Amino acid sequence: MKKTKLGEFEELVLLTVAALQEEAYGVEIKRELEDRLKEKLSVGSIQSALKRMEQKGFLTSEFGEATRKRGGKRKRIYTATPYAHRVLAEMKDIRAQLWSSIPRFAHDLKTI
Amino acid sequence: MSQHKDINPPGWPLKLLRLFLKKEYLEEIEGDMEELFRENVERLSARKAKRIYAWEMLKLLRPILMGNLSGMQNLNQPAMFKNYFKVSLRSLMKNPVNSFINVFGLAVAIGICVFAYAFARWTFSRDQFHEHKNEVHLVTFLADRDGTLQQYGKAPRPLGEMLREDFTHIKSVCRVEDRNAVMKHEDHVFHERIRFTDPEFLEMFTFPMKWGTSNSLKDVNSIILSEDMSTKYFGDENPIGQSVLMIFDKDRSKEFTVTGVAKEFPESRTISFNFLANFENLRTADPGYNFHDWSEFVNATLIQVDNVSDLTSIEQGMEKYRKLQNDAVKEDWAISSFSLEPLSTLHKTSEYIRDDISRSSKNDYISVYFMVGIAVFMLALACFNYINIAIATAAKRLKEIGVRKSIGATKQTIIVQFLSENIVVTFFALAVGLILGYTFFIPGFELLWNFSMDFRLDDGDLWLFLSAVLFITSIASGIYPSLYISRFQVVGILKGSIKFGQKNLLTKVFLSLQLIMASIFITCSIMFTLNNSYLAKRGWGYNQAETLFANVPDQAAYEELSASMAQEPDVLSTSGSRHHIGKSHATTVLHFPDREYEVDQLAVDATYFETMGLSLKEGRVFKDHEGSDKQAAVVNELMVKNMSQWLSGWENPVGQQFRIDSIQYEVIGIIKDFHNYSFSNQVRPIIFTVAERHDYRYLSIKVKSGSEIKTHKALQANWVKLFPDIPFEGGHQEDVWGFYYQEIAIYDLVWKVFAFLAVSLAILGLYGLIRLNVAGRTKEFSIRKVLGAGLKNIAASIANQYVTLFAAVMIIGAPLGYILSKILIEFAYVYHMPITLSGVSIGMLTMVVVLSITVSTQIRKVLKANPVDGLKVE
Repeated sequence: MKKTKLGEFEELVLLTVAALQEEAYGVEIKRELEDRLKEKLSVGSIQSALKRMEQKGFLTSEFGEATRKRGGKRKRIYTATPYAHRVLAEMKDIRAQLWSSIPRFAHDLKTI
Repeated sequence: MSQHKDINPPGWPLKLLRLFLKKEYLEEIEGDMEELFRENVERLSARKAKRIYAWEMLKLLRPILMGNLSGMQNLNQPAMFKNYFKVSLRSLMKNPVNSFINVFGLAVAIGICVFAYAFARWTFSRDQFHEHKNEVHLVTFLADRDGTLQQYGKAPRPLGEMLREDFTHIKSVCRVEDRNAVMKHEDHVFHERIRFTDPEFLEMFTFPMKWGTSNSLKDVNSIILSEDMSTKYFGDENPIGQSVLMIFDKDRSKEFTVTGVAKEFPESRTISFNFLANFENLRTADPGYNFHDWSEFVNATLIQVDNVSDLTSIEQGMEKYRKLQNDAVKEDWAISSFSLEPLSTLHKTSEYIRDDISRSSKNDYISVYFMVGIAVFMLALACFNYINIAIATAAKRLKEIGVRKSIGATKQTIIVQFLSENIVVTFFALAVGLILGYTFFIPGFELLWNFSMDFRLDDGDLWLFLSAVLFITSIASGIYPSLYISRFQVVGILKGSIKFGQKNLLTKVFLSLQLIMASIFITCSIMFTLNNSYLAKRGWGYNQAETLFANVPDQAAYEELSASMAQEPDVLSTSGSRHHIGKSHATTVLHFPDREYEVDQLAVDATYFETMGLSLKEGRVFKDHEGSDKQAAVVNELMVKNMSQWLSGWENPVGQQFRIDSIQYEVIGIIKDFHNYSFSNQVRPIIFTVAERHDYRYLSIKVKSGSEIKTHKALQANWVKLFPDIPFEGGHQEDVWGFYYQEIAIYDLVWKVFAFLAVSLAILGLYGLIRLNVAGRTKEFSIRKVLGAGLKNIAASIANQYVTLFAAVMIIGAPLGYILSKILIEFAYVYHMPITLSGVSIGMLTMVVVLSITVSTQIRKVLKANPVDGLKVE
């Protein structure tokens, strides 16, 4: 866990990639994440997160199809590696454990 | 979708991206950006999509996505630039005076650029805030007047209704008619201009409401106010539901309920309103108003279409109205076709459209070109300064360059060093310039003209503009010095065999150019000042100083007021008239056997000429008894001059005849030309005819010299006594030109500011150069002094290299300044002073004085210095 530094934003992008499956390319990831977060994201922030994670081995990518709308340029489809899935699951576990260790009283208070 | 195909993203961000981004990422990101752009074009406007595209591209320039620039791969770039930055800061600090000259000069020039940008942006944003600006069109018609096709912005009265019924493509139609009325709410009573219009007005124009609703205009009893008017009558409270009384004349008035208040109008509007009432109210306001009379006009008729491509068919379809129109009007007002003018360009075209509701801004467009010209001029001046001083100071940095070169700097790295140094200087200047523009030039100009340009720092285009200025200025001012400096050979530098900076030809050329520009500016400014004082003294062609006037509502009021004023001791004579010089006139077509001629007509009484001080040149004026001279006309000299070119017999104008409608008139007298309106308007051919007594709308009063103010007070006092409910309108005849004299005083001031700045910049540059020159020759002067040189010798040895240069500058600058200011004055003023050489002489004299002072400061410095100190150096 220690070496796999995954930032908060990177984690969101990674989850989106995992969720989108074959549709996971730049614009679609941006769109999906904007919808969910309800805020505007720049292409630059998404792209740099993707490239960083690719370097760290969370993602692999290959060229997809080209469309007219894209001026004949091919898409790059991202796929989360098994390693990424493992890290994501680990993080979810850690979070869940932490949540469950919050005293019940405090939790109830928050939901009021 | 299909219509967006031809909108393409701007090219430069892509080029930037291709330059900096890692090659392997390019295809993917380019595609993403293009896809997003297409999506945005469909969702937003093309303009906005382009802006987002450019901005996103800039945000893509992140270290992780960027590749290394080829050619610089192996250098330790950041450290290198850090060093450059440090060195440039040090050299700035080492030479505070020169740095100040550079930074301040550039800052002033950039400040003016920011100002020019703000002004241009403001001018081009006129009326652009209306959501439907491309769909709303003004109905205009073209008519032949004196042989030229003239476009008119008014429309025949029934046209609006007909358009609404006949064309299905027209979404909505709205007519606009402006009338004067007195508005009364409790004890607030004012003359106001009321805009009667159809409820569609507020759908076509984007004027959001502050209070109330805009569709309330459908109710004939409701009235909508502008925010200013709401404040004027009701203060800060919400006036919805309050009632106001609109008084049309003595017998007719109507009570309205306030149902809406518009939000403050944007500064960039040329069409707005004070009071908005339903068009149907014209029936109450003016019982004689015939909605179906084709020979009468409304001020404007506007249409809104859904699809702009329908316009041609509408224009063609309107052809059938031409016959209706031409059957109804007299043949001299026949029209030749209808045409539609889009709202989006109306502020530009309105200069050429007569009687339209928009405000012409031709002067603003001319001013934009002037401003841009001046800004470029100033920037050029500042760049010349920079170049000169950079070359001269490089002499002191020869060693640094030599060392850099000998440890391996190439020519390119030296160029990059000097250019980046330059960017640092320009960047400082840009910051100072922006502050200068924002806090001084723009507010100053707004204060002078009393308007707001609505300049905001959060305008994205401003920052693009500033980056462009930064880039262009640093390259323009830096490229020559850096090329020049990087050229030297290491060995030469280190041996000390290279000497330059003192006898550089280019330096002299630049200095001369600067001084020539300064000469031109100073000449223009002096010429304009002289011309303004000439205009201030120029006569109006009649006695405007000792005359008062008052606008009366009807004949009864005229009789009462004139009777009461006749009692005043200082009144010499009073006259009644339908029109009044400087205030109103009618436009009339005169018929001659074989042609028509358009003139201004003033209907007056017999004593008007005497009261106003108009001087008779030939013949006689009207006889002073009721009913006489009904078919007589007095004309001005210009009319005679123009007529005698076409018609024989007008050399002896008295007795000549013409027809107005069906009545025959005879010329009985000629008066000298006078300025009906301000000097910025051409004198027009004018005829005077006798006014019917029941048409009298103006009372003119000639008073004893010196009693103008006293009688003005008496006039107002009498008015209040006689007509407590009607606001007084009138005053000194001298004030009828409004802000004309203030306006020319402002032009004068603006020119002086520009001339001062241009001269200061040139002098700063000269000062910097002489200082460097003298500093470089410290040893020489010390030796001269030791050997006994006095004032004469030192002064000669400093000044002689400049004397020829100054002489050359004067020889080139004086005629250029003369010609340019002549062109400008002839272009800007219809009437101007006779242009003589006096302006140029004063300008050149000022230049000589300023130049001598600059040079003599350095001579004095050398004289006062101790030669021992000079020789002790090194």
